[in-house]
Amino acid sequence: MTALPPIGTDTETAPLDPLSEQYEAGRERLGIEPGLDAIDLVEIGEDTMELNMGPMHPSTHGVLRLVLNLDGEVVRECRPDIGYLHTGFEKDFERHTYQQCIPYTDRMDYLSPLFNNLGFSLAVEKLLGIEVPLRGQYLRVIMCELCRLASHLLWYGTSALDLGATTAFVYAWRDREKILDINELVSGVRMHTSFIRVGGLLADVPDPFYEMVGAVIKTFPKLIDEHELLITKNPIWRQRTIGLGRLSQEDAMAYGATGPVLRGSGVPYDLRKAQPYSSYDHFDFDVPIGRAGDVYDRYLVRMQEMRESLKIITQAFNNLPDGPVNTKDRRVALPPRNELNTSMESLIHHFKLVTEGMRVPAGQVYQAVESPRGELGFYLVSDGTNRPYRCKVRAPSFSNLSALPHKVRGELIADVVAVIGSIDIVLGDVDR
Amino acid sequence: MTAVGSPMSGARAADLLDRELPTAVRRRDAGFNEVTLWVDRDALVAACTLLRDHADGAYTTPVFLTAVDWPDREPVEPRFDVVYQLRSLQYNDTIRLIVQVTEDDPNVPTLEGVFAGMDWHERECYDLLGIVFTGHHDLKRILLPTDWDGHPLRKDYASFGEPIAFTHNLEWALPAQERPRDMPGGSR
Repeated sequence: MTALPPIGTDTETAPLDPLSEQYEAGRERLGIEPGLDAIDLVEIGEDTMELNMGPMHPSTHGVLRLVLNLDGEVVRECRPDIGYLHTGFEKDFERHTYQQCIPYTDRMDYLSPLFNNLGFSLAVEKLLGIEVPLRGQYLRVIMCELCRLASHLLWYGTSALDLGATTAFVYAWRDREKILDINELVSGVRMHTSFIRVGGLLADVPDPFYEMVGAVIKTFPKLIDEHELLITKNPIWRQRTIGLGRLSQEDAMAYGATGPVLRGSGVPYDLRKAQPYSSYDHFDFDVPIGRAGDVYDRYLVRMQEMRESLKIITQAFNNLPDGPVNTKDRRVALPPRNELNTSMESLIHHFKLVTEGMRVPAGQVYQAVESPRGELGFYLVSDGTNRPYRCKVRAPSFSNLSALPHKVRGELIADVVAVIGSIDIVLGDVDR
Repeated sequence: MTAVGSPMSGARAADLLDRELPTAVRRRDAGFNEVTLWVDRDALVAACTLLRDHADGAYTTPVFLTAVDWPDREPVEPRFDVVYQLRSLQYNDTIRLIVQVTEDDPNVPTLEGVFAGMDWHERECYDLLGIVFTGHHDLKRILLPTDWDGHPLRKDYASFGEPIAFTHNLEWALPAQERPRDMPGGSR
């Protein structure tokens, strides 16, 4: 796999930032020995305090409860408590037909609904052995990458807000609107689109789509520059994030971390490259990786990923083929409207498909897609009926969050907020 | 349709286990271009350690862990399939391992010592399906409240309806595990 050279600062050799001298001077004024880490400072006392953070805490991006064991301001132990948003989607799948499951997938990772649709649809299509026409595949790619832009923008805005950068939040919202407008245009809904269906798409895109995506391609490189101008070299941001919440390559792999968290630690693994689906192998893009695996590198990786997403959108948009967007396979596709007027069999077929849904051959498959948060997988077991027998959702946020106690041990309590932000968790995804 | 990195996902792990630990694998299936190995419960930890540490495997990443409930299969075959999916980032290969356990003895040795990330996955599997991971340091519910009754992803756990007892359906008020399996409103 081709990967870009690592980005980020090697904190082992390079000085932290221009302010580090002032930082050291400040520590000196406080009488702290040079080179002494925060964790060493607290060896004096033995009193610890349990602090409850959340579940209603603005920085947890949902309802996440952390029980922190503190020694002064240093986190000794962190015990996440999840499940506040558990909705039993996996159980719901078992009593709905395959098409009825699609709206449920939207609501799991509600910031990247298109990826949830895509992962589920690809898994069912794999069981059925059908292929979506090229135009459908390209439109899926365009919509997914737009969704990745929207998701990363939201992450950028909120995690900057967590550290006090209110301006970035407003700018991110301004740009995310443009993508939600496209969602609204193609599906009628801004967030829970259910746009990608088994066998293709809800419908082909209307004419204004081309103008709106063209505008995104044209304006977004400059807008991302603006975002980077606000944050990337901002001394406060750098001082708060560089060297914080480190995750080594080995730990990232052992915890099953994926997505920007894994790539921030320097592992160039991206499912779009490693196991291409939906024609991702037609497009030329790079996989940005970090160096130190800290909060700052995860930030850089995501910002670079937005540019790579724009590259993919541009290529798919410029080479968008003509033709149908949905498969013609009659096990999935409804008969054309004009056939219903003349053919009794078509009418019966239409009725059976609508009332009973498609029947999917028995078997088990696993299909994963690279969502903005990492590997989103659907393990689907079918018993040959019109409903999934079992559908396990491999949620990227769940595995990424499980490494949190490891990451924040020994950090300051104020930095826990920054580390949570850098994981980009969506609690709907963690709890499902 | 979907091009997979290697022609057959999981073939590398299957070959490795055939070569190094042939007694561990009971059955092998390669439907939909994905290899599934049915592994002996007693050999699970050894097999996963081998897959992780062997230079030809390097399956260092746990992808997910879950279980599938087939209540009608007993007593011919065990009721639960405990499904492990492991990935080798180095060789870009994914393998699925299945361990079968019965309703009376739903115990599987824990893998949290092999993969740190298995900790939460095992808790989730215990929570939703009642599989017991022996040796786990803190096996308690993770998604549901600690006082929850039953394991919802089992097929005999009713998926809808309030358990309100009338004279004609008193069994609704029973705890989930005591309800008759063919009760109306069961999951399927």
